[in-house]
Amino acid sequence: MQAAKGKKKNVVSRLMEARAADSHVGIALVLLLLIVLQTLVLGFDFGSFGQWFSAWFRNWINILRNNAGVGIVALGMTFVIITGGIDLAVGSTLVATGAVIMTLIDTGAGGVLGLLGITGVPAYVMAIVLALVMGYVLGTGIGLLITKGRIAPFIATLGAMKIFRSVTQHFMQGYNPRVPRDFLQISNLQIGGLMFMPIVYWAIIAIVLHYISKRTTFGRQVIAVGSNERAAQLSGVNVNRVKTRVYSLMGVLVSIAAIVQVARIGSMDYANAGSGMEMDAIAATVVGGTSMAGGRGTILGTFMGMLIIAVMNNLLNLFGVPPFLREAFKGLIVVLAVLLQRKQRT
Amino acid sequence: MIEMKSITKSFGTNVVLKDVSITIKGGEICALIGENGAGKSTLMNILGGVHQMDSGEIFIDSQRVRFDTPAQSLGAGIAFIHQELNLINDLPIFENMFVGRELKDKRGRLDLTSMFKATEDIFERMDIKLDPGTMVRDLDASYKQIVEICRAIMMDASVIIMDEPTTSLTEPEIKRVFHMMRTLRDQGVGIIFISHKLGEVMEVCQRYVVLRDGKLVAEGDVADVTTDDLTRFMVGHAIRIEKLTRTQRIGQEILRLENFTHARSFREISLSVREGEILGVTGLLGDGRSALFQTVFGADRALSGKMFLGGEEVKVTSTEQALQMGIGYLPRNRKENGILKDMNVLENASIVTWPLFAKRGVIDTDRHGKVFKSQQRELDITLQSFKDAINTLSGGNQQKVVLAKWLAANPRLLILDNPTQGVDVGAKEEIYEIILKLAEEGMAVVVLSSEAQEIIRLCDRALVMYHGQIQGEVLDTTMTEHEIMRLATGGIVEAV
Ligand SMILES: Nc1ncnc2c1ncn2[C@@H]1O[C@H](COP(=O)(O)OP(=O)(O)OP(=O)(O)O)[C@@H](O)[C@H]1O
Ligand SMILES: [Mg+2]
Repeated sequence: MQAAKGKKKNVVSRLMEARAADSHVGIALVLLLLIVLQTLVLGFDFGSFGQWFSAWFRNWINILRNNAGVGIVALGMTFVIITGGIDLAVGSTLVATGAVIMTLIDTGAGGVLGLLGITGVPAYVMAIVLALVMGYVLGTGIGLLITKGRIAPFIATLGAMKIFRSVTQHFMQGYNPRVPRDFLQISNLQIGGLMFMPIVYWAIIAIVLHYISKRTTFGRQVIAVGSNERAAQLSGVNVNRVKTRVYSLMGVLVSIAAIVQVARIGSMDYANAGSGMEMDAIAATVVGGTSMAGGRGTILGTFMGMLIIAVMNNLLNLFGVPPFLREAFKGLIVVLAVLLQRKQRT
Repeated sequence: MIEMKSITKSFGTNVVLKDVSITIKGGEICALIGENGAGKSTLMNILGGVHQMDSGEIFIDSQRVRFDTPAQSLGAGIAFIHQELNLINDLPIFENMFVGRELKDKRGRLDLTSMFKATEDIFERMDIKLDPGTMVRDLDASYKQIVEICRAIMMDASVIIMDEPTTSLTEPEIKRVFHMMRTLRDQGVGIIFISHKLGEVMEVCQRYVVLRDGKLVAEGDVADVTTDDLTRFMVGHAIRIEKLTRTQRIGQEILRLENFTHARSFREISLSVREGEILGVTGLLGDGRSALFQTVFGADRALSGKMFLGGEEVKVTSTEQALQMGIGYLPRNRKENGILKDMNVLENASIVTWPLFAKRGVIDTDRHGKVFKSQQRELDITLQSFKDAINTLSGGNQQKVVLAKWLAANPRLLILDNPTQGVDVGAKEEIYEIILKLAEEGMAVVVLSSEAQEIIRLCDRALVMYHGQIQGEVLDTTMTEHEIMRLATGGIVEAV
């Protein structure tokens, strides 16, 4: 009977409901604002609209491609943070899996698959599969450390971060694998003169993860665990398994980012590649509306959060802000985003 | 004296309070009663500065006041014990007692000693054996409730709002709380007491105010009415509390425990439950019954002893496994153990059955929606939309949602821990009927409750626990309040 009353709803309340249900509105507005600003800064000083548009479009393809790697990692970070955890090891996992791929496909004397007589596409496929498996194994290891070993996520992943990078650096010193040309096509394939494969991977992964988060048992259990771990457990949810899987997923996503990155530049700087990646991913997640306390967050939000940070970087570039100051702006926008969302919620 | 005049409040289009006026005098305990969702908590949340009214006025001693925040209300001498627990788990009891109004020494540092001492004093006055230094995290729900009550009492408030303070307490604590309430009343404090247990209302209150669908429908002196009258005011018609009957078909044994022992909470528990049987388990604070059945459900580990399910020995290591084996456990203390605050009503009602109904890991929202729709009718759950956040539901309706998620799972063995917490009179009868029907269909049901009446009316037999052990069993003629209380306080079983 009460439900019947609820059917007669006026437009205002419907709108209010829509807003409450969709906390993305604020994020989307900020993003839109930045895009408008960026468009203005880019200027309209072109011969024709066509010229202007192609410049604008190319700029965008660049932005998106440059951020695809971190963007993919940020999507996984969203799941991690929703469960109330954190993963500081993503950058090091990236280097470790990157090193494995390169060692496998190296065309030089040290190439493992080359020595076994496997080259070309079969070698690439094998390398990719093994990289994914490696990411999965490393991620699962971290997950088990956190769930079975009962180590706080911050500490466990801090440890993993140090170990993965240092071990990688040790084994890779003095060894410079050569990545075969064809492998680079994974990221650098040109269609219509544009290189946008990384963007395609990012988009596909975002769509798949969005679906997982919204519609699958696993996706909703992730939210439930973050929302109230005890209640989730007492509802028959295997909390440890859900959490471990979240880190496994993170590992796999990082290995995808590693593949994309290796294929993009054909080399890897083991000391610096991916360092700071965890912070960028966390920043995108938080700007996208995920709560560090767990229980709240969406893939769509993180996707937009990543775009906000990316456009922001681009803007700072266009404005000619000195490089050292740019990080300050990044910090500022993270803090602002969180303040803004707090306002909206209350 | 506090007057609330013509209070109106809506959430969206849902008008929750319509032109409600009440008066609370000092030196009086006033019952605020009504069905689940009638607007009791909302009215008090307005007085407590948690929600803002749309229109209306509040006067304290004829002075018009306005509360935009809970702090302002507290500052005006109004202490509020909320329906759901509100303590900080990571602080010890004595610091919780002073959150927001910490005692400071001359140099502005926290005066921990005085806070500790004051807490000790109040516990002593209330005759409660609790160490003020205990972390709140380690307290059982009942103790948390007691801490909240003591905190409100300590605030030297002129008015105390108690929103269902007794739902997780057992008889002796309730008595002590009542004793304290009377003392405060005699000192001139005004108390608003919300409860669905009309016996309590008759016992401790002088006046009553009844809300129905957000309107004030009756008020007067408790001495002039009976519980039947109050029920009629609340529901609009009489509810007969009938004797519960069912055709008993006790079948095979479902659960057997042998010398089940836990590191801290229970020892040497042996019991057995059969198909179609309703077993009650009761006791006082610290009896260990919740821990016992949470262990059966795989949420905790037993130190030693054996557990048999359907005749086979099993080791349950996770709640997921327990669910797959056909064990269900509805926890007590819904805010901490039952409610997923970031999820909507339907999700809260279906989390248990997600994996059971899923097709290749994808949640079957339609099927969950259908199941919950019929449950909503059966349990009379007041709500606007399945997609609403769970905490927009009234306390009793949240409880029904938590119950619904377990009914949907249809387990072989269903353990219900304080299942009617905060549920109104009518819905309680509905829930009892449902439990009887489940037993009739062959389910083994275990009901944990501290309400002797609930045990007596519902159960075929009951085990009474005392300090983690089974003190005795009551059935048929021994199933009386007197006998249960005797065992619960540690009395030894008399030789027959
Ligand atoms: N924050 C909120 N947002 C939207 N609706 C709400 C909110 N709080 C309460 N309501 C609605 O207001 C109505 C009255 O709720 P209230 O909590 O006052 O009931 P109650 O009388 O305390 O019931 P109970 O005995 O179950 O505790 C309910 O229909 C509830 O759904
Ligand atoms: Mg209430």
